[in-house]
Amino acid sequence: MKRIKAVVLKEAFHILRDPKSLAILFLLPVVMILVLGYSLSFDLKNIETVVIDYSQSELSRSLIQKFSHNQTYSVTQMVKGEGSQSPEETAEEMLKSGEIKQFIIIPQDFSSRIKKGLISHIGVVIDGSDSNIANIVHQYNEMLTFGFISELRDLKDIFQISTKLYFNPENKSVFYIIPGLVAVIMIMISALLTSLSVSREKETGSIELLFISPLQSHEIVLGKTVPYVFIALIEGALILAFARVMFRIPFRGNLWILLVFSLVYIVTGLSLGITISTMASSQKVAMMATLLITLLPSILLSGFIFPLDSLSPILRAFSYIVPATYFLEVIRGLILKGAGWKHFASQGLILIGFSVLFLVIASVKFSQQRKAGK
Amino acid sequence: MTDQDIRSVGAQLITARNLTKKFGDFTAVDKINFNIKKGEIMGFLGPNGAGKTTTIKMMTGLFRITSGDVWIKGLEVKKDINQIKKFIGYMSQKFSLYPLLNAYENIEFWGGVSGLSRKVIKEKKGLISNEIPKEILNQQVKDIPPGIKQRIALFSCLISDPEIILLDEPTSGVDPEVRRNFWTKIYELKKQGKTILVTTHNLDEAEYADRILIIHQGRIILKGEPSELMKARKTDSMENLFKRVVTNHETN
Repeated sequence: MKRIKAVVLKEAFHILRDPKSLAILFLLPVVMILVLGYSLSFDLKNIETVVIDYSQSELSRSLIQKFSHNQTYSVTQMVKGEGSQSPEETAEEMLKSGEIKQFIIIPQDFSSRIKKGLISHIGVVIDGSDSNIANIVHQYNEMLTFGFISELRDLKDIFQISTKLYFNPENKSVFYIIPGLVAVIMIMISALLTSLSVSREKETGSIELLFISPLQSHEIVLGKTVPYVFIALIEGALILAFARVMFRIPFRGNLWILLVFSLVYIVTGLSLGITISTMASSQKVAMMATLLITLLPSILLSGFIFPLDSLSPILRAFSYIVPATYFLEVIRGLILKGAGWKHFASQGLILIGFSVLFLVIASVKFSQQRKAGK
Repeated sequence: MTDQDIRSVGAQLITARNLTKKFGDFTAVDKINFNIKKGEIMGFLGPNGAGKTTTIKMMTGLFRITSGDVWIKGLEVKKDINQIKKFIGYMSQKFSLYPLLNAYENIEFWGGVSGLSRKVIKEKKGLISNEIPKEILNQQVKDIPPGIKQRIALFSCLISDPEIILLDEPTSGVDPEVRRNFWTKIYELKKQGKTILVTTHNLDEAEYADRILIIHQGRIILKGEPSELMKARKTDSMENLFKRVVTNHETN
């Protein structure tokens, strides 16, 4: 204990007396949250749409109104194409240049066919270069046209769907992006803290003196992890508070659960960092490896951006060994659903398991390096 | 008497036999043999890259020995390095003190790591305060002048009172006066019965040692008492002696 305490104190002094590094480590998450939080939105606010209305009838106008009254769309009507082009050709050019996301063609016989009770077609051309956006546009279109048809045929009297969106009633993507970002940043920062601290000692050569000293390998590992728990916890709280204030993320759960799980998750990150550092020879290598190992899987394979169910079976299997997957379930559940302790038992145990595993690997690695030398 | 006891008889505290270190195809240390007696100051001399640091690192278990072995107090480095660590103090040319900690904190750290009690650490801090002004000891090490830093580093290296002291280029980067003071300190340690191995590429320092080993391109090319070596080769300076043996070795 005496020896671990010596390492903890030394480490703590070193962190607190290096304000520049500390500032970077505190600023980095804030900047990341701001930049990514504002840019990574899956909500479409402006679906630029051109309507080519050959029908020019009361019905077609009322359909167009459906679109133009909806705030999500910004609708322009086109009567003539540019120069010698047909309206369709001009609209296609606009689609290519990215000016619009879709164009809708209402045929001349649109109104007359409906009145006769025949099937009437309207053509919609959507920019499919971003399949995500294309999907959303398509869904919005369907919703609007369904509304139009049901008004037309008085289908409302036959049946109505009452949908209630639980937990995120406005379906704001920011509400699930920000918790995801918090999970990504937390593990990145905690892993960086420890991985840099050990590799710094490798670079300066002080690790050799530690290796020659009577310190046991697990004492080095623990002594180096403990002081960073506090720093990472403060950072975690800062990230959470910042996310809540900046993006008005609701919080429906118990704050204690969030704190305890953040602590567990942070320890997982710190242990991961120390494991990486036992294998990295310099701070640069440690930093690159940490960023690669924490960022990529946490963003792509944790359910942060892509739903886990949409991953291929191999990637889905990988997602089970990404710590962020588990923390994400906890933090989304807590923030939006207000879930309780009992919902997260397995996630907690798995994260603790990861930490123990990483710490053991790091200690063993250190011992091997000491015994074998280079 | 066991094999190990036999090796440590004749007051040989440290014995290296065919000690070799290879990094891939490169042989950094090539089958070197030497003995160091208890209470002796052994100077380990050679240009940069000769294999001095590599040898010390093998002795401390930091580098894996490729072949041959070293016995320290009858214990084999390859097998019993953890026991050996208990009686060696090591000061490295590259790093000795944490720059953002002040001198006292460094001493507390190395004392704590060595498992010393709080009382002993306090005594040690008192001891160093008699040698160096407190205002300096309260500064972060990065702001302390190199000469004093080196004294503090040696003090930390000696904190657990080791029997064998391995000093790797302890005087590089300090001025001649500091170097002289440092050697006064090393003589004091010898008087206390400590055994000291000190590497250097400063030839004038070599004369201070009881015996020297000159290592070049991973091989020991000369060993013996400095004055006798100079007499035998009819030269009065270490520099001439060194130049002569190195040129000889290279032409051969």
